[in-house]
Amino acid sequence: MLTARLRALARSMSTATTSAASYPFSKAAILPTPPPAPPSLESLRKGKGLMPYLQTALPPSQKQQWLATLFSKRHPDRLVPGSVLTVTTAHAPNSFSGVLLSIRRRGPDTSFVLRNVIQRIGVEMQFFVNSPHLKDIKIVKRAGSGGGKAGRRTRRAKLFYLRNSPEKMTAIAGGIKA
Amino acid sequence: MIGLKGTLNVIDNSGALLVECVNVLKNKVNNGWGSVGDEIVCVVKRARAISAAQQASATAVKVRRGDVRRAVIVRTAKAVRRPDGRLVKFDDNAAVLLNNKREMLGTRIGGVVSADLRMKGWGKIVSLAPKVV
Repeated sequence: MLTARLRALARSMSTATTSAASYPFSKAAILPTPPPAPPSLESLRKGKGLMPYLQTALPPSQKQQWLATLFSKRHPDRLVPGSVLTVTTAHAPNSFSGVLLSIRRRGPDTSFVLRNVIQRIGVEMQFFVNSPHLKDIKIVKRAGSGGGKAGRRTRRAKLFYLRNSPEKMTAIAGGIKA
Repeated sequence: MIGLKGTLNVIDNSGALLVECVNVLKNKVNNGWGSVGDEIVCVVKRARAISAAQQASATAVKVRRGDVRRAVIVRTAKAVRRPDGRLVKFDDNAAVLLNNKREMLGTRIGGVVSADLRMKGWGKIVSLAPKVV
């Protein structure tokens, strides 16, 4: 009885709206607030609310999911610089592997740089996440895995110092058959 | 972005090791820049010693220090944009020597070349290269 009273109190204090989207299997369910309606076309044409609208409208759903998980700043599964990735593209070279040096977060213009050493020549490629030619991103090795010195996270967001130290590159990515 | 005085490594077996750019042939001016797939005129700054067999032969191509030759740029340290928006850059600049008729002087290529060569019409070099990125 007491718990029912507490639940009723919680229900009255909650700011969730149950009118528009009601849960058919329980009357006591609390549903989160629905997302705000997109701004009208006239206000978009004037530029009001344009950038947030483009952030959600431009990328397709799979890429939006990538942006929300792999390329977000706080998601537990996000990509961390120092990881080794393999990227599959629609055009040649069809797949490119490398150490993630940097992530440039600009909403729909988000891009990342992978560095690899091919036949003793360093090659860097910058991929744009929303490009339709970017088919797949596979994580070969997450940064910070492995014990000892390699197990600690990098203390930088952009690992451009790896361009000048091949020893650190091999420490991160040596011995990986990707 | 290779221009006057830009140095490039030579990655074929013609004998030259390092060349310095003197002129970029796609531009009508002297102060232009060349990128992957552009033909340049270059001076050989360092070359491998010519073996005795090569010295004796009349038909072998002898590349010596101080020669003025043509070359095509195959790798640049400056990033090059691909049609889908990707950017590719290498750690050094590299070239492959050519004769006046746009044919290669060497017979083998050792190293990575950029895939932009195919788009500019250098399919022969791309087919000889061990790795194309």
